[in-house]
Amino acid sequence: MNITHRFLLLSSIAAATTAFFAGCASQGVQNPSGVPVTQMNADEQGFVAGTGVESQDLVTVTDKMARSILGTPAIAASTTPPRIVIDPVENATRFPINKDLFSDRIRIMLNSKSSGRVVFLARDRMKTLERERELKQTGQVTSSYDPNPVAFKGADYFLTGKLEGLTTKTSAGTSDYILYSFQLIDARTSEIVWEDSAEIKKQGLEDAAYR
Amino acid sequence: MAQRKNESTGRHTLLYFLRRGVVAFLMLAAFELLTGCASGPAPRAAIAYTGDPIIDGNAELAAAPPKDRALWDDRIAATALRVGNFDEARAKLDDAILQIGGIIANNADAAKARSLFHSEESKTFIGEPYERVMDYYYRAILYWRAGEPDNARACYRTGQLIDSDAETHEYQSDYVLLDYLDGFATAKLGGDGSDEYSRAQALTKRHLPPYNKDANVLIFAEYGEGPRKYAGGEYGEQLRFYTEPSRIHSARLIIDGRRIALPPYDDLNFQATTRGGRVMDYILGRKAVFKNASNTVGDIALIGAVAAANNNSRDSNRAAVGLAAIGLISKIASAATTPQADVRTWDNLPQYLSFAALQLSPGEHPARLEFLTRDGEVASDLTREITIIVSPDGSTNNIVFLSELTR
Repeated sequence: MNITHRFLLLSSIAAATTAFFAGCASQGVQNPSGVPVTQMNADEQGFVAGTGVESQDLVTVTDKMARSILGTPAIAASTTPPRIVIDPVENATRFPINKDLFSDRIRIMLNSKSSGRVVFLARDRMKTLERERELKQTGQVTSSYDPNPVAFKGADYFLTGKLEGLTTKTSAGTSDYILYSFQLIDARTSEIVWEDSAEIKKQGLEDAAYR
Repeated sequence: MAQRKNESTGRHTLLYFLRRGVVAFLMLAAFELLTGCASGPAPRAAIAYTGDPIIDGNAELAAAPPKDRALWDDRIAATALRVGNFDEARAKLDDAILQIGGIIANNADAAKARSLFHSEESKTFIGEPYERVMDYYYRAILYWRAGEPDNARACYRTGQLIDSDAETHEYQSDYVLLDYLDGFATAKLGGDGSDEYSRAQALTKRHLPPYNKDANVLIFAEYGEGPRKYAGGEYGEQLRFYTEPSRIHSARLIIDGRRIALPPYDDLNFQATTRGGRVMDYILGRKAVFKNASNTVGDIALIGAVAAANNNSRDSNRAAVGLAAIGLISKIASAATTPQADVRTWDNLPQYLSFAALQLSPGEHPARLEFLTRDGEVASDLTREITIIVSPDGSTNNIVFLSELTR
């Protein structure tokens, strides 16, 4: 058998062997050992990503807003802690999200970092609070104070925000720009005493198998 | 002389067995490739069906491979909506959207789906655009129900974006209800919504009702059976859709002495069949070409091997072995190439989508739902008496979901 024939024969066997084992290896479960749980910081981008609102955006945006609010004269120069009510954030992007995460995190950051320079009113708990007051007023439960005068505090400011988006989709991929804007509105005068924003843009292109 | 003859006979015998061995090995390899390996996916556990579509659907979901998870989520969600199990529908749609909503890149399953020797079905199911749109359309209904019209609007916007890359410009982002309901949500939130209304009106010849911001009852109706997928082409490499003409062409709700029309604003059969080609179709087409070419090469090589073997010379015999090997490998490669299109289908979608917004007083409102045929006749076997309960809370959007389909 000359070298060419031998080479041909061995190549054929090698190719068939490869095909044989490749056929086996390609079947079955993907990632048979699984992917171990990876703990990540909330401001890190994970390996599961999209072009929408993600935890790292939430952390970046709310950190910036909390710092910015504390620096505004309406808060910094106030002799008594202003009372703030959170008005739900409006989502005008294309991404359905839990919007409360934004206002909740800003409130938490301000409450934990501002040393009492602002006070938030729990308007989202009014039904529960009114029910409790009613129980006290009717003597169904005890009270350590006179429950009859109105003691619920009014707001000095409303904190609200809006998420707006702009999307571009072409054969080159999908691009999403989101503008996160927040405002502090004077409840007496309707003046916007503070406003700040953050913007994040992301883009990506899906695998050809999904296009 | 006798010794040389014996040596020669021995070499020929050895060559004979070697050839036989090669052929046997190649045939074994081919057999293994064609029949699959013993170490392949474990057989699916048997499912004890109960007759309850939600329970059975969840059992299917539990037994399904992870790549089919969104498919079962979708099917269960549609059924759950129809039987009024909104919590189940929400959970399943959220899970499905988690899988379909991101950008899938650098994914091993997707790479496999593109490779010659794995079928498109090996990728994680996210559905064709009309299926993904329905994930968001249904989820939006549940956002309305939860008092989050802005998130419902977000779903409509993503839906239109998903439909924006149809091959023909005319069919891009052409869902009437997605634009109409986007504008309606904006109007309900105190905005304008007129741009979205105009866009929606431009997409249909039907007159769309103007937005009633005070409407407190939102009716989402659906009827007819949606598209089914099948594989066409010589090797099943072409994704095609089978659409069955629906007996039902419209619906109406008779309530408080009023007839509320529920015309077909959107047609999923139309949406599925007007998308045009996909990038993946091109890849599958190339797979089909490779399958065909390697099969032809195999035929030619094997015929050549037979011809060479009949020549009875030593060199011819060697050439025959080589050609046989090439022929078999080509045949194996051809047989192992899988150009079949992915035909996994969200198979309980409706054909037509409709919507109406009403302003009703708080309390119970008995109503009759009628489905109409193409001729405008009432399909009496489908007529249903229902009761719409309107919350006394004026800020609540009361959501009514009406479907001709039962599961």
